[in-house]
Amino acid sequence: MLDAFLAGAHQVFAFDTLIYMLIGSVAGIVAAAIPGFTVTMAIILTLPLTFTMEPLQGVSVMLSVYVGGYTGGLISAALLGIPGTPSSVATTFDAFPMARGGEPGRALSLGVWASFFGTVISTIILIVAAPPLALIAVKLGPWEYFSLIVFALTIVASLVGNSLMRGLIAGVIGLGLATIGPDPMMGRPRLTFESDILMPGLPFLIVLIGIFAISQLMGEVEDHGKNDNKGALIPDVIEFKTWAVMREVLMHPVNLVRSSLIGVFIGALPGAGGSIANLLAYDQAKRSSKTPEEFGKGTPNGVIASEAGNSATAGGGLIPMIALGIPGSAVDAILMAALMVHGISVGPRLIMDHADLAYGMFVAMVVASLMMLVVCVLSMRLFLRVTDIPKQFIVPTVMICCVIGAFALNNRVTDLYLLGAIGLVGYGLKSLDYPLAPLVLGVILGPIAETNLRRALMSDGDWTVFFTRPISAVLLAAAVLSVIFSVRSVLKMRRKDRPATDEQDGD
Amino acid sequence: MTNGAEKSAAAGASAPAASRARTEFARLVSYIVFGTGSVYLSLRAGELPTSRWEPLGAGSFPQLVFGVLAGLCLIAAIRAIIDIRKAGQLDALGEALCSWVKVRRISFALFGLLVVYLGALPFAGFSLATFVFLLISQLMIAGISKKTVIQSVIAALIFSVGLNLLFAEVFNVFLPRGMLFAG
Repeated sequence: MLDAFLAGAHQVFAFDTLIYMLIGSVAGIVAAAIPGFTVTMAIILTLPLTFTMEPLQGVSVMLSVYVGGYTGGLISAALLGIPGTPSSVATTFDAFPMARGGEPGRALSLGVWASFFGTVISTIILIVAAPPLALIAVKLGPWEYFSLIVFALTIVASLVGNSLMRGLIAGVIGLGLATIGPDPMMGRPRLTFESDILMPGLPFLIVLIGIFAISQLMGEVEDHGKNDNKGALIPDVIEFKTWAVMREVLMHPVNLVRSSLIGVFIGALPGAGGSIANLLAYDQAKRSSKTPEEFGKGTPNGVIASEAGNSATAGGGLIPMIALGIPGSAVDAILMAALMVHGISVGPRLIMDHADLAYGMFVAMVVASLMMLVVCVLSMRLFLRVTDIPKQFIVPTVMICCVIGAFALNNRVTDLYLLGAIGLVGYGLKSLDYPLAPLVLGVILGPIAETNLRRALMSDGDWTVFFTRPISAVLLAAAVLSVIFSVRSVLKMRRKDRPATDEQDGD
Repeated sequence: MTNGAEKSAAAGASAPAASRARTEFARLVSYIVFGTGSVYLSLRAGELPTSRWEPLGAGSFPQLVFGVLAGLCLIAAIRAIIDIRKAGQLDALGEALCSWVKVRRISFALFGLLVVYLGALPFAGFSLATFVFLLISQLMIAGISKKTVIQSVIAALIFSVGLNLLFAEVFNVFLPRGMLFAG
């Protein structure tokens, strides 16, 4: 084992590999900072460049893009309020208010450090506990998966913002949007009205960019002229307080470890990636906080939870991939494809046949997270040169980046029409105070829920199996408890608000 | 004097109530739109043929989802009506709508420009369409002066022709080419 570890480390620490990884790290951060550019897209663009490299070198470069990408999403989430990637949706909840509240440097540093520690914790778990965790993940059948999605959907209840009802409506609209297009089991077109635009379905990325980015950009130029005192989207002076923030992150060990563990677990489940981990970690941090009312207003706990959660999925996703040959996410599938191009079959025998490669990947993960940290700490100011750019340049240019991101996904101009339409709907919903996060969650989880529900009922038509299989029953019970807990918190907050209102009325 | 003060206090108290009523009315309209749409989509999903191979057909899940959405919208609409009645008079709706649009005039103009840009993209090509979009939108937000015109032309050139070259040469992503202009 030690020999294999050292052999892997030797390859990763080769000078050219480190240089390629550094370029990959910067590319990942920059790509993910552009709204609409996902980590997956950055990795896909990297894949052809790694064909001429050694297998471990190629995978190391892709891992550095991966780790850098998870952090890059933080930049636009914190500074523009637009999640750069689906994995940074929850990051906008607190990092953006914190940045808007005059602490953009602190928001970014918190995110960077939380991402770093999240990745390191997930890599340690990957090395130590890969086999047992992967075994649990692989035992989940469609019943457990459906129950897991039901549990994840109950998160909607705590993401509803000002109104439980509007949050639920937004979540169900998301589920409904996900049903447009080909049916996930048989490929039969549904609710497409024979329109070429709707025939392939609504790509998740288009919905995400439209709902978050276009509506946010339209909101940025509202009441133009009166808001001139707000000036640029990003303040002129950004104080990062790197080391003070590092201590601050370490002062929240429970939140950091819990969020990282959630990220590892979610990452290890095939299909569930950073987007779910980000929201779930945030949700759990809010629920276990003594001051949940501070969430959404720029609390450091929110930033730490969301960033540690999404970054930890990078290590978690590698667990089933390395141990069982099952990719944990689309990115892991691309990593698998890269290894297969080099003639390496990924599966249980990977550790036995190519131990140096497997352990080299563990080392590469740690090196990639260190590189991300160094790149961010040293050159975050360089990335933030956008601070000098006034709103009239940022808003239309980011809009163009969104258009490019939406187009590059499938090279379809028709996707751009969808982007415009969804953007307008998103702006309307935002104006009417509908929370947008549940809608996006619904779009992500809808197809997974439907596929697993139908798969489960195809294997056994009996509905009671969902309650008789132990893991499924536990997940459903957790979902019920989650709803009860959320409703209780809403009622509690209302009761808290009422005396104050009554007093005011009395005055 | 006292009468005047009382009147102004009453007007002050009724203003937020009226504003709340107007907001709730706007939301009520959205619940009706979503509710009606979901009933229609649920019916359309029900028309999809069932499968011989599985208990749930292609239409079952959408039917379930849109059914739930219709139910939620109905509950929300009833609550909105109760809130509107509680809040009191629903006056000056047209005026409120006008001021709502006025505040967001640049946002809507930007969106209108985006629609025109997306429509022109297949004909004019990425570089030309983006250049024009960026130039107009930047000047629309910043206002027209000698300085902003020069800045906007430079920025529009960089982010239209420059971005096109970057994506084509570095990322091998080819942005839309126009029928009238290939760039």
